[in-house]
Amino acid sequence: MNFMGNTKELVLAYPSMKQVTLSKSVNVMLPPQFYTLKKEALPLRYAYQAKKIAPSLFDGLLEEGKHYDYMVWREGEQWVFLAYNMEMITEFLKSKGFNLESVAKIFFVQQAVTKFDTPLLLGESEALVSLDDTVAVVPGKALAGEEATLAFDNSFMPKKGVVLQGAYGSVVSMKQALTLAAIFMLFALMFFVEGWRYNSNTQADEAKMQELLEAYPSLQSRYTRESIVNKYKTIDSSERKKRDMIKALSGMIFKGVTLTSLEMNEKKYSAQFSCKDEKVVKRVKALAEKKQLKAIAAAGSNDVKIEGVL
Amino acid sequence: MIAKRYQNELIVLIAFVLMLGSYLYKNVQISSQSQTSAKASSSVSELKEVIALQKIWSDKKTTKKVNKLQTIIPENKVKWSSKNKKVTASYKGLSSSELNNLVTKILNLPVEIQKLKIQKLASSYDVEFKCKW
Repeated sequence: MNFMGNTKELVLAYPSMKQVTLSKSVNVMLPPQFYTLKKEALPLRYAYQAKKIAPSLFDGLLEEGKHYDYMVWREGEQWVFLAYNMEMITEFLKSKGFNLESVAKIFFVQQAVTKFDTPLLLGESEALVSLDDTVAVVPGKALAGEEATLAFDNSFMPKKGVVLQGAYGSVVSMKQALTLAAIFMLFALMFFVEGWRYNSNTQADEAKMQELLEAYPSLQSRYTRESIVNKYKTIDSSERKKRDMIKALSGMIFKGVTLTSLEMNEKKYSAQFSCKDEKVVKRVKALAEKKQLKAIAAAGSNDVKIEGVL
Repeated sequence: MIAKRYQNELIVLIAFVLMLGSYLYKNVQISSQSQTSAKASSSVSELKEVIALQKIWSDKKTTKKVNKLQTIIPENKVKWSSKNKKVTASYKGLSSSELNNLVTKILNLPVEIQKLKIQKLASSYDVEFKCKW
C-alpha cells in the first residue's frame, strides 16, 4: 500500500539498456556503475554528521575535478556512504532517451539491497547480485546454472531518493534558491511588520479624534463646528484688537503724561494725552510710531492725539 | 513539467513577489498614515479651536462676572442698566486707581465692548461703558 501517493513507475536504467521513450513521469533506479560505495562502522549518531565527513572518506577513490554528491544511511552497526556524480548520471539518462523533466527521483540499487535475494538480469550479458550485502554487477556467464528469476518492479523503490532539481535547466541551485527565498521572506516580513505598525498608528490618530468627538457630541457635525468657528472667530479677533489697542495706549502713560480722554467703539478709537513739555511730547510720538499708531501733536499745546480704526 | 524544471526559479520568484507585496503594503500604509495623520491633526486642532472659542465666548459665568463691575466701584458712583445680556454702565468721579481697576476688569471679561469712553474731569475720571455677550 502506498500512503505517500508515489505511484510513479520505477525504471531500472543501466548502460546496456535500449533507448526509452517516456510519456509520463518516472522514478529511476541506477546500478553500481553510477556510484561508489563505502561502508564504515563509525560512532556517529546522526545522518547529517555522517554526510559531513563523507567527502573525506572517499579521498583518492573518486575522480578528481568532478563534483560528487553523497547519500548516507545506516545499515545495522554500519554507515553506508554512497558518492555519485550527478552530471554523469544526467548525461547517461539523456543518452538513453530519458527526458530529464520526466525523471522525478533517482534511486540506487544499493538502497534496495534486501530485495536482491536472487540475481536480477541486466539485459543479456550482466546481472545484479547481492554479495555480502552489497549489490554488484556480475557477468551473465557467472550465473551459469542459476536461475535468475527476480523481476524488477515498484517494490524495489526505497523511501529516500535524489531529486534532479537544479541539475538541469535551472539557473540557480536549490540551495541558492532557498537562501534567496529566505532573504526575500525576511525582508517581506520586515516590510509587513513596518506596514502593520504604520497601520496601527493611523488607527490611533482616528481613535484620538473619536475620543474628542465623544467628549463633545454637539461638535460632531462639521457644519456645526464651522458655524461656531465663524461666529466666535470674528468676535475673538475684533475683541482682541480692542484690548490690544487699550493696552498699547495705556503703555504710553508714564511720568509727565496724563490721559485726558479715551473713546472706543466697535469700529474706531481715539485717545488724547496731555504732556508736561515738548520733550515728553516727542517721546510719546516716538512710542506711538513704534507701535505703528498715528499721533498728532496739537498746535500751541503739549497735547497729543492718537486715533485710528480697528 | 515546466513548473518542475523551473521550480528553483519559481521559489525565488514567489518569495520576491511576496517581498514586493509587503513593500507595497508598507508604502501604502505610510502614505495613508501621513494623509490620515495630517487630516486627523488638522481636525483635532480645528476641534480644539472650536472648543476653546466656545469656552471663552460662550461662558455661562460671564453674566456673573459682568455684574461684578457694578460692585467693584462704590455704589454712588455707578449707574447700571442691564438687559438681555447687554449692559450699559456709567461711572462718575473715579480716582486713578479705581479707573485702573475697572479697565483691567473690563479687559479681562469675555464680552463684546460696544463703547468705552473715559473722560478726565479735573482730577477724577468719568467712564461710560456698553457691552454685550
